[in-house]
Amino acid sequence: MPVARSARLEDLETLLRARRLDRTLTSSFTGLEAGLAKAPVGLPDVDAQLRGGFPRGQMSEVVGSRSSGRTTIVHALLAAATARGELTALVDSLDTFDAPSAAAAHVDLQRLLWVRGPSIAHGPSSPGGQGLFHTATERAIKAFNLILQAGHFGVVVLDLADVPMAVVRRLPFTTWLRLQRVIEGGEPAGLLVAETSIGRSPRGLTLQVQRRHTDSTLGPQLAVASARLPRL
Amino acid sequence: MFACLSLAPAKRGLTPPRFLEGSNPFSLNARSTPEQALNDRSILEQIARDFSPRVELPSPDSVVLDISGLDRLIGEPHAIGCELQRAIRRADAAESAAVHIAIAPTRISARLIARAEPGLTIVARGNEASCLARLPAQALVDLGAPDDLLVTLDRWGVKSLGAFASLPSPALSARLGQDGVRWQRLARGEDPAPLVPSIPDERFETVFDLEWPVEGLEPLSFVLGRLLDPLCARLEVRDRAVAALTLQLREAVSREWHRRRLELPAPMRDVRVLRTLLCLDLEGHPLDGGIDRVGLFIEPTPGRVCQFSLLATPTLAPEQAATLMARLRALMGQDRCGVPELVDTHRPGAFSIGEFSPSSRPPTRALNSGPRSFFQRSPSLRRLRHPIPARVVLEDKRPVRVVTDRRGWNGGKVLWCAGPWRSSGDWWKPSAEPWNHEGWDVALSDGGLYRIHQDRLSQQWFVEAVVD
Repeated sequence: MPVARSARLEDLETLLRARRLDRTLTSSFTGLEAGLAKAPVGLPDVDAQLRGGFPRGQMSEVVGSRSSGRTTIVHALLAAATARGELTALVDSLDTFDAPSAAAAHVDLQRLLWVRGPSIAHGPSSPGGQGLFHTATERAIKAFNLILQAGHFGVVVLDLADVPMAVVRRLPFTTWLRLQRVIEGGEPAGLLVAETSIGRSPRGLTLQVQRRHTDSTLGPQLAVASARLPRL
Repeated sequence: MFACLSLAPAKRGLTPPRFLEGSNPFSLNARSTPEQALNDRSILEQIARDFSPRVELPSPDSVVLDISGLDRLIGEPHAIGCELQRAIRRADAAESAAVHIAIAPTRISARLIARAEPGLTIVARGNEASCLARLPAQALVDLGAPDDLLVTLDRWGVKSLGAFASLPSPALSARLGQDGVRWQRLARGEDPAPLVPSIPDERFETVFDLEWPVEGLEPLSFVLGRLLDPLCARLEVRDRAVAALTLQLREAVSREWHRRRLELPAPMRDVRVLRTLLCLDLEGHPLDGGIDRVGLFIEPTPGRVCQFSLLATPTLAPEQAATLMARLRALMGQDRCGVPELVDTHRPGAFSIGEFSPSSRPPTRALNSGPRSFFQRSPSLRRLRHPIPARVVLEDKRPVRVVTDRRGWNGGKVLWCAGPWRSSGDWWKPSAEPWNHEGWDVALSDGGLYRIHQDRLSQQWFVEAVVD
C-alpha cells in the first residue's frame, strides 16, 4: 500500500512539473529536497537545522528583527562560499555592510561583489523618506536580478533588512516570482534578508532567527542571537 | 641598392653624433623634442612606403628602403634620390633640408653616409668602402658600438673607419674577439644580415557619416553594431583584441565632438559586449542633440588565450564581468560597486572599494578554525554610514539609558554594556579628519544591541552600528 501511494505521489508530481505547476508543491513533500544541491552556512548548528544548507537554484530567506543574528548568518554563508572558491555577491540596499566585521568572519573579500545602495540618513517618516526607500529597494532588486542573470555566483544575497516593511510590501508580488524564475535551476543560492518573510521560492527555505533574551551576565560577543530553525 | 633617409641632428631631438661635435652648426635651442622626431620619422616612413614595400626602421631617426627594381620605373639612383627629395619636400617643405638621403649598395653604408653627409649622396657599387673610409671611427656610435671599443680604437690611433677596416682581421680577432671582427665588417659597409621589412601597425578605426542625425541610444546602438562588426572581424583575423576603445560622436548642430574612451579590464572582441559597454557608458554621459558622425578607434592588443581548468571553479569571463559591472554602475552609480577592501587604519568602519576582477585562483583564506558554534563568532555589524545622534544618560561613567529622535530607533534602558573602548587617530594628518571616540556596546530594552560612541571632541553621542 505505501508503495502504491508513493507511486501515485510521483505521478502527481510528474504531472504538476509537466504542466509547470510544480510551484504549487509545498515542502511538506520531503522527497523534493532530494537532489537539491546545498550551500552550507558553515555553522554546524545552523546547517543541521537546514539539512545541509540553503538550496541552490532557489530563493531562501533569513528573517528576523534587529540584532537577531541575520547578518551573522549572512557573513557565515559568505565565508563558507568564498572558502570553497565560489564567487559571492551582496546587494546591500541601504549600504550597511561592514567590511571589517565581514573580514573578521573570514569572508574572502576578493571574492565578494558588493553593490552598495544609497546611504539614507533620514528616517522613513521624513518628507520624501518613503520615496527614497522605495527607489533604493527597486534599484537593489534590479541589481540582484542582473547578478543572477550573469551567473557563476555561488551565493547571492539581497539585504533588505533595514528597509521598512511597508515599502517592501508595496512591491508587486510578481517581483519575487520573477526573481524566482531567474534563479530557478541555476547555480547560486539566493538569499533574501528581511524582517519578515517576503518572497522565497517554494523549494527554498525560510530561516527565522530570533533574539535570545539578553542576560546581564553575557558579554557582547555572546549576546548576538539565537536561531529557531527551520520553518519548512 | 638601398636608400637611407635620416633626420639631421637638429631634427632628431638627440645629441648630435660625437664626430660632428666640433662642427655642429645647430644650437641646442633648435632641437626638437624626441616626440617630434618620432613624428618626423613616421612621415619619412610613409614616404619610404610610397616607394617600396621593403622598409626597415633601424633607429628612431632613420628609415632604410630597398630600391631594387625602381630603376625601371624611375631611372638611375640619382633620379630616385631626387624623387625622394621631391616627395619629402611635398610632405614637409619647411623641413625638407633637414633630411639626409644616401643611396648605397649596402644598408650599413647607406646609414653611415646618410648620417654624416647632408643632402643627397650616391655611392656607386663597389665604392662603399672607399666612401666610408673618410668617416671618423666615432660614426660607429650610430650603429650601437660600445664605448670601450671606441676607446680602444682611439688608444690605438685608429681615427677613421678606413683605418679600422684595413686592420688585419686575425690580429683584430686575437685582441677584440669576434665582436671586433663584426664591427670591422660594419666599418667596411658589409651588411650583417638581409633586410627584414617592418610591417606597419594596422589601424583599427572607422568613421561613419550618417545621412541624417540620430537621436537616442537605440538607433545609435545599431550604428555602433554596424561599425564594430567589421572591426572585430579584422581583429579576429589578426588575433588581436581591444585594449581600449575610443568613441567620437559629432553633434549635428554645434558640430562639437563628444569623445568617450573605454579602458577594458581584459582584451576582448565580442561585438555585443563592446556595443553594450559603449551604450551603457553613453547612458551615463548622455548627449544633448543628434549625432551626424561616428568614429571608432580601437587600440589593439594580442588576443587573450584562455586555458580552462578541470579543477578550478568556473568563474565569470572578463567580458561577462565587464558587462555586469557596467550595468551595475549605470544602475547604482560609478563608485557603488566593487570589491570591499580593508584600509590600514583603526578608524571604525573604514573601507575602500576595489575593482571586481574574478579569477580562478584558489581561495586565499580557509575556514581554518573548524566547526564553530553560532555563539563563538565575532560580532557582525550593520554599519550606519550616517551615525544617529543619541542622548545618553550616564551613571558612574557608564551608560544607563540611550534614546534617539529617529523613528524606529527609540532606544531605551541599558540592560548591560561593555566598554569603554577608546580610539583616536589621524590627528597628525592636517588634511584628514581626526577622530577621538569612546565606544560602548550596549543592549537596550528595545531588544537591540548597538555600538555607540561619544565623540570626545564634541562630546556628542552617536549610534554607529547595530550588532546583528
